[in-house]
Amino acid sequence: MLIQESLSVQEKLEILSDAAKYDVACTSSGVDRKGKAGTIGNASKAGICHSFSADGRCISLLKILFTNQCIYDCKYCINRSSNDVVRTAFTPEEVCQLTIQFYRRNYIEGLFLSSGVLTSADYTMDLIYQTLKKLRQEYHFHGYIHVKAIPGADPLLIEKTGFLADRMSINLELPTAEGLKKLAPGKNRDKILKPMKQIQNGIVTNRFELMEYKKAPAFVPAGQSTQMIVGATPENDYQMMMVAEALYKNYDLKRVFYSAFVPVNQDSSLPALPGGPPLLREHRLYQADWLMRFYGFQAEELLSEDRPNFNVLLDPKCDWALRHLEQFPVEVNRADYFTLLRVPGMGVKSVKRIITARRSGILDFEALKKMGVVLKRAHYFITCSGRMMYPVKIEEDYISRHLVGEERRSVWDISSSNTYRQLSLFDDTSLSTQVNSGGIVV
Amino acid sequence: MKTIYLCDSSIEGVLSGVYTAWASRKGHDNVKLRLKDDGATMELFSQYEEVPVDSLKADKVITAIRNKISEEAYEVVYKAALSNDMERADKIYRFLIYGFPVGAGVVSMLQNQAVYDMFQMCRFVDNETHLLTGFVRFTEMEGDLLVGRIGPKNDVIVLLAPHFADRLSGENWVLYDVNRKKAVLHPAYRHWYLTDFLPSDWEDKIVKTSVEDEYEDLFKRFRKSISIKERTNPICQLNHMPLRYRPYMPEFSQGLRDI
Repeated sequence: MLIQESLSVQEKLEILSDAAKYDVACTSSGVDRKGKAGTIGNASKAGICHSFSADGRCISLLKILFTNQCIYDCKYCINRSSNDVVRTAFTPEEVCQLTIQFYRRNYIEGLFLSSGVLTSADYTMDLIYQTLKKLRQEYHFHGYIHVKAIPGADPLLIEKTGFLADRMSINLELPTAEGLKKLAPGKNRDKILKPMKQIQNGIVTNRFELMEYKKAPAFVPAGQSTQMIVGATPENDYQMMMVAEALYKNYDLKRVFYSAFVPVNQDSSLPALPGGPPLLREHRLYQADWLMRFYGFQAEELLSEDRPNFNVLLDPKCDWALRHLEQFPVEVNRADYFTLLRVPGMGVKSVKRIITARRSGILDFEALKKMGVVLKRAHYFITCSGRMMYPVKIEEDYISRHLVGEERRSVWDISSSNTYRQLSLFDDTSLSTQVNSGGIVV
Repeated sequence: MKTIYLCDSSIEGVLSGVYTAWASRKGHDNVKLRLKDDGATMELFSQYEEVPVDSLKADKVITAIRNKISEEAYEVVYKAALSNDMERADKIYRFLIYGFPVGAGVVSMLQNQAVYDMFQMCRFVDNETHLLTGFVRFTEMEGDLLVGRIGPKNDVIVLLAPHFADRLSGENWVLYDVNRKKAVLHPAYRHWYLTDFLPSDWEDKIVKTSVEDEYEDLFKRFRKSISIKERTNPICQLNHMPLRYRPYMPEFSQGLRDI
């Protein structure tokens, strides 16, 4: 392993942010904290994006590794110990300076600190703890901090770090124990789930403390999250969703992130992905994840053993609705909140607007449009005062034919973002809509 | 004959217009509010009347909104007055006509066109404010001063100021709206204030601490190395960060696009 001691901060930042980029979580949400005199920073509940990188992902936190030296040899990871890359490490001082100076200029919302495992899990966790302590206590940083818990580290260290951070996360990486064994020989599932449980218990205990003493220090106030790699092992979507659901239920996770596998290493046990990373699959998983967290869906309603993967041509909600046409159409002026939430084309915001607006008068389709309902999807499934918008057959084939036509373009955009499209005069159902919007065919 | 009241574009100006139009007792259908500088053509068969800014009248309207409709409705009116919609004066007037008899529930009655117009303006103002809380960039100047420049479509600087005052309470900073030539000044550990009396050459008088800010360069490098090449997606980036924000950001000083 080549360890460089004499790199400049520029070079270190380039190496250690490049090594951190496969971690998806860059959210700064989940906690509202006012500024305090004598400190720098605050946190806002919704989270704030400060910039967007060329891949369209938001840059909210200064996402870096403390070091990219690692004792583990996980096959999917760019920092695996057998890889021949330049290795380096920040000092706690450098991390603090970068965070504060970026923060003052409003480049970032806070710090995301992860790390390769240097020497041992405890040693690395302690380095992270010392850095956070310096940042919070010497530099009086009051903004957002997201930190990784190192699997296998001493519970006491994890607890102490948790009182300094806003969000902690431990990456599950692969949904099943077999997958983990195959690709990450140094880790095991137990090592990952144990600290996860510890943080969950810490948050619950802390909640009671906060109820009694308002001044009690907050433990991981923005909750914990995790990440799973999509497409590195042969698990299907159903298994992924069941794991995610279990994590939400049993571990109170705030978020599960899905990361389309990008092959950075050549290894016989990794899949070759000639079509690029499985972005559409990742997109469908996120759509389903939202359905579970905000729309009251269960994983088993969306997928089953017999149909273990998501429909490529339809989003999970439309797909579900088409298989349950007996529940439709619903009457917008009378249906309750959760029934409306299950209508394709309606979201949390628009349903809330509908519920408050209909108290003061009957809604028609024109009004629904104002509330933000996507009528081109919703109109197959709703009635206003007993009437549908157009004469529509409530029939699976008929509706899915129409919905698929609209979805096809966006599917194409996601699954083949880097290639050029051959212009064709035939079998291109979405051509007319493209020409209408500005006369340019993409 | 229709009477058209021309009011000043500030919130006091608009609300003075509302008061005058209402108090004229000509009937709501026979009056209309327009901004003095909206640049629209004049209408035939109508008489024009200019309304001077009168903070007393504006205050009366504000008190009436807060007492007879709700605090939330006042917030809606205030934000709408900051929007860049050229017909905002008349839209606010129509909203109030509908709002006074209905009361507090009016803000959620989106099925009504007058309410919907207000909702749209507020949404635009709120969205732009939220984006700018992230997209504002401060540059370090000599004498411990941070200067941020923005060019927003709506007049959101007063909505941004509390956020940064809370966040950077210990810093001297200036937030300057290039389009409206006004600025929020924040002396360290003190309250912020808004001013539009700036000498025209104020920007030349303050100097950057160094020609090449080290951290500006570091951030550019960070942005580049954090992006995953296999996932490059400029359209997605454009949707989240429209081009109009980019001229004010140092990371785009070499060009508005990454690729």
